[in-house]
Amino acid sequence: MKKNVFSIVELAVYYVIVFIILREWLIPIMKLTGTGHMELILFFIALSLILSLFRIHFVVSIVIKLAYISWFIVTIYSGYSILSAEGMHFLVSELTANIGLLVQANWVSVTDPFRTLLFLVLIWMLIYLIHHWITVRMSIFYFLVLTVLFIGTLDTFTEYDGTFAIIKIILLGLITIAFLFLKRLIIESGAELDWLKYMKLVVPVILLIGLSCITAIFLPKSEPQWPDPVPFLKAAAGKGGNEEGQKGVSKVGYGEDDSNLGGPFVADDTIVFTAQSETKQYWRVETRDVYTSRGWIKSDYFTDASTVFDPYMDITHSLPVGPEEGTKQAAISMLYPYDFVVQPYGLKSVGLMDSNEGYQFLMDDNSEKITPHFNKNPAPLTNYFVEYSKPVFLYSDLKNSNLDNLDPSLAERYLQLPENLPDRVRELAVSVVEGEESVYDKARAIEMYFRQNSFRYDTDDVAIPTEDQDYVDQFLFETKIGYCDNFSTSMVVMLRSVGIPARWVKGFAGGEIIDTNGDMKTYEVTNNDAHSWVEAFIPNVGWINFEPTIGFSNTRSIDYNIETSEVERDELSVNEEKTEPDEVVEDKKDVQQKSSNGNNIFLNAIKEYKWMFLIGFIVLVGAALLLYLKRTKWIPKVYVKFNRKKKLDESSFELMYLQLLKILEMKGFKRQKGQTLQSFAKEIDRYFETNHMGKMTNAYEQYIYAKDSAEVDFNQMKESWEYLINRATS
Amino acid sequence: MHKQIEAIIENIEKVMIGKREVAELSVVALLSGGHVLLEDVPGVGKTMMVKALAKSVGAEFKRIQFTPDLLPSDVIGVSIYNPKTLQFEFRPGPIMGNIILADEINRTSPKTQSALLESMEEASVTIDGKTLDIAKPFFVMATQNPIEYEGTYPLPEAQLDRFLLKIKMGYPNAQEEIEVLRRAERTQPIINLLPVISLDELLALQEEVKQVYVEDSVKSYIVQLARATRNVSEIYLGVSPRASIALMKASQAYAKMQDRDYVKPDDVQYLAPFVFGHRIILRPEARYEGITTEDILDRIITKSVIPIKRYAEQ
Repeated sequence: MKKNVFSIVELAVYYVIVFIILREWLIPIMKLTGTGHMELILFFIALSLILSLFRIHFVVSIVIKLAYISWFIVTIYSGYSILSAEGMHFLVSELTANIGLLVQANWVSVTDPFRTLLFLVLIWMLIYLIHHWITVRMSIFYFLVLTVLFIGTLDTFTEYDGTFAIIKIILLGLITIAFLFLKRLIIESGAELDWLKYMKLVVPVILLIGLSCITAIFLPKSEPQWPDPVPFLKAAAGKGGNEEGQKGVSKVGYGEDDSNLGGPFVADDTIVFTAQSETKQYWRVETRDVYTSRGWIKSDYFTDASTVFDPYMDITHSLPVGPEEGTKQAAISMLYPYDFVVQPYGLKSVGLMDSNEGYQFLMDDNSEKITPHFNKNPAPLTNYFVEYSKPVFLYSDLKNSNLDNLDPSLAERYLQLPENLPDRVRELAVSVVEGEESVYDKARAIEMYFRQNSFRYDTDDVAIPTEDQDYVDQFLFETKIGYCDNFSTSMVVMLRSVGIPARWVKGFAGGEIIDTNGDMKTYEVTNNDAHSWVEAFIPNVGWINFEPTIGFSNTRSIDYNIETSEVERDELSVNEEKTEPDEVVEDKKDVQQKSSNGNNIFLNAIKEYKWMFLIGFIVLVGAALLLYLKRTKWIPKVYVKFNRKKKLDESSFELMYLQLLKILEMKGFKRQKGQTLQSFAKEIDRYFETNHMGKMTNAYEQYIYAKDSAEVDFNQMKESWEYLINRATS
Repeated sequence: MHKQIEAIIENIEKVMIGKREVAELSVVALLSGGHVLLEDVPGVGKTMMVKALAKSVGAEFKRIQFTPDLLPSDVIGVSIYNPKTLQFEFRPGPIMGNIILADEINRTSPKTQSALLESMEEASVTIDGKTLDIAKPFFVMATQNPIEYEGTYPLPEAQLDRFLLKIKMGYPNAQEEIEVLRRAERTQPIINLLPVISLDELLALQEEVKQVYVEDSVKSYIVQLARATRNVSEIYLGVSPRASIALMKASQAYAKMQDRDYVKPDDVQYLAPFVFGHRIILRPEARYEGITTEDILDRIITKSVIPIKRYAEQ
């Protein structure tokens, strides 16, 4: 069967075509994913093709390919030589770390070098498949269809322009298919064609393909009727339409890019880290200072400025720190390899576990993000602990704060607002703080503003601002529905509108207690806890965190000293604590809903996602139907797979024999119910020109009809069984 | 194939050309202690068949030519007064042999028919209050002309039931008939035919046949077939349980012939038309439509379910 029907030159021509088609695959992938080094990947494709062209022994071929992949990864990603110790170390550590991640199904964290490795392996497989298609099946139709679909989809739905790519692929592909078909015909018919006759067959084909391609190019073509399926699907599902400019649903979690806020997200309970500490607190990661009316970006206020800290060294940052005696420790275990250190309020220093000598910490002065470094390179740190002392603010200080002597550098940086910010935002902010004296009270007023005025916390039904709409303006005046980003951004903008310096903070909320050991509690923080909030600068006091988001509680401590009157303190403490129970109330609501509507939740879910369910259902039914229709193809294979290793003995004989009958039936050899096994066996043996079925049937008949089952050579039976199964399924 | 049985059949084949199946079926009946009804036109070798069989097993062969005026005593024998001894002496009739050819059985009166058939069933004759056992083996091969012929007394169904198998001889094909002619040129080979087994060996074989195992699933298959004949609209009278027994016994003998000590559905299936064929009475409507018992049995056999698993009590 596997004869060398292709000459090397012939095969080489086909491979060149395959190479060109694969290049068309690569171009959009490179363009759309921002991957570089296309020439190296093309070289890999060429290498694989050449190896398979010359039928290099597979061991040699595997070694060469693996060597190339290793060289590729090490050279591109680490800069070391592959032959150096560092290079090998890099390779080994990449492999072990990523295989670990794969085992945990933590796809997102897989690093680029490993992704490249997987990509190259994928290309490797693909080329193997193509080799099979060409040399054995002599048809690359599926490959061509896939390519056209792939390019067509990308051309329609992305900015990639595949006009010429498609023409090129169709031309080359059709010609290849035609030649392969011709080849197959010649082989099957066993005809010998001389050059002239061959030409007579080939020339019309090429002319035909060329002509139809040229005609197709010059035919008028309409624009895609369905340029982007997402809005259509959403509209069909009854979820879109009321907001313009939808984008896809994102997943909750800590993201780096905040320049385009808005849109719904879905929950993700991947654990990010666990913290052992006495208190529950927000974990700050970094701040943002420039609001663009679409989102947040980091300014270059300090150009390229970062500060290096050694472990245990006091860290200087902009936030106030509490007294020495209030110092506490929290141990952090990162389970998700983010490259930052989470900071509690009042951070003093970061300590290391014993095994992590040699780490340093680098703080970005612009965002106050702390990144662990090892040998001057960023390296995720799994275990560390933070020392912190929560600042306590004197109520009198807060009460007496005013903006008179504001540091101009602060004002410049933290009062920034986009020029096109609608006036009504400013007007609203002014009206909200009306009557409040101190800076703190003004900030409090704005914080409390979101708790009333019919704002709603929601992660699904969240709009994305349109082209000329301001993110905050849309939230404050149009939707009033959103999650932490909406609330916190709006509060920062409102604070800045009334002259209070403010910034936007990203990090994680406190998480959930999973273990208690005396005073120490273990908190589990998941991607669902990713959060954003507000820090406002209160003159004479410093930066204080605020929490405008409904349902979340902040953790700032305020000392109401004796100078405040009794009445006022009561009032204030009520005010301060009010944030705390909020979450509880919300939770309770949830619980009530859950218990009273226990059965309805499922129904509601169906109602809400009825299109999804419908589509899912149709897909399932379709799959089931397909499985059923194709059962004669796959069931025998499954049987064989399950039973190949099974021992054939007296106890399993009946089962195996009956299964054999079933498989034969699926393959079209149906025994009529009134047909005896013997006559059926004769039929089968006649068809397959063997005597295995007869042998087996004789033994089986003896087994079922005779008084004492005679000695049966089960090894031989097994042999016959396998022979028949193989013949039937091949 | 069982060596001794093979020898018998081969022996018969020396004189009967192209009739192996008939020979086999006859031997099956002989081995299971049953009797055979050969139905066919005269002159196709019915008598030759029986003679050959009798000679092959070294049995005493007797022939009764049934005529309309034949009396029961002509079959079973008669007591005659012997003036010398002053006693009645029993003169055994032709029935008291081992292998009997009852030729053209349907040409005699029902009275004589029943005398024969009763002795067939009982393997004994009663005369003047004395019961005499017929020597074993006892094998009757009756021939009858097809019932449509003139001057016949059709056998009643109760009588037919006593025959294990009904076999049709059929004409030989051209080749075979040429061979028949070729042999008839010289002396009849039947004269030189020698026995291949002794009577004792035959009796032993008959005992062995009874030991052939019939699995319950196969029994249930037999019953399934028998019951099916009782539920077919074209059939006026289905087969009796005696027919089921007959089918089982015949199957045992057939299995033995294959040198097998258990019965397979194949045996049952093969023999069912021969065992059931003459025990089924079709409705006249069905007959007019040209439906034959063979057609119906064929249908029943196709529709019945062959047991392909070990028997499990239902």
